[in-house]
Amino acid sequence: MGLIVKTTARAIIPLIGIFGTYIVVHGHLTPGGGFQGGATIAGAGILFLVAFGLDEMKEQYNKSLYSALEGIGGLTFLGVAMLGMGVAFFYNTLWHNGPFFNGQPGTLLSAGYLPIMNLAVGLKVFTGLVSALTTIALYRRWKS
Amino acid sequence: MAFIAAFIWCYILWLGLTAGSSGLLWSSEELIAGLLFSAVVAYTTKGIIGEKASRFLNPIKWLEFIVYSIGPLFLGMVKANFHVAWLVITGKIRPGIVRVPVDLENDAQYTILSNSITLTPGTLTIDACPEEKALYVHWIDIPEGLERPENSEPVSGSFEKWARRLGR
Repeated sequence: MGLIVKTTARAIIPLIGIFGTYIVVHGHLTPGGGFQGGATIAGAGILFLVAFGLDEMKEQYNKSLYSALEGIGGLTFLGVAMLGMGVAFFYNTLWHNGPFFNGQPGTLLSAGYLPIMNLAVGLKVFTGLVSALTTIALYRRWKS
Repeated sequence: MAFIAAFIWCYILWLGLTAGSSGLLWSSEELIAGLLFSAVVAYTTKGIIGEKASRFLNPIKWLEFIVYSIGPLFLGMVKANFHVAWLVITGKIRPGIVRVPVDLENDAQYTILSNSITLTPGTLTIDACPEEKALYVHWIDIPEGLERPENSEPVSGSFEKWARRLGR
């Protein structure tokens, strides 16, 4: 892409990143959540891919790191769901008697395991979408 | 330095997004979460925002940006909108693409000038060519004899002076 698109992308990519993180972190308070925020952050990654081109993306993108982070996101979701295993699967023990994330409803540190799960889903969606789109962009050539 | 520039940019945006979490100000947990997530985003984007971005941390430059956006830029937009409304009513247009030589040094200056030209109706930046130090501008109503302008004065007024100053 041209000079103007590149320079604007330099300023806009941190903006999209922090806005997506805001959506993920406030998933239990405002509209949005893990998937919406993760897809927003993935939009920043795709903006990078489109604005700077595939060669630049090849240097920045690390397949093993993104693969591992996607796995960590899924495992965190599962691990948090197992926390209240003494009562039931998906039992929100952090909210009922946990040491943290049980503040006044409406504040950031409330809603038990939900913020952690939102972060896990956001990480998984971001890495998954960026990996998928980069793979499609890397597809060998136009013919056969 | 690039990390600090990205971090401050992210943290200001976070503060803007979460204002009002404790009265009209910020609750302490929002502030701490903002520090944490701004650091993560800034660490991942420090290679994108670029080493030279830290020059925009200068508060004098912020003041100049505010003065520019509510002064010359807003005034130019209002004037140009009425001009285009007049062109729409009368229908007398003389469109064309002109090459405008400019005297700018870096990417930020080109971006500020191109966006200012595009924001004022009647002119639209097609392409910025730093290697030949020129912009290609689509002009809806080229005055007679200005098909090959010597500088950006007839196209954009004082915007080039401001862009040179703001992006330095």
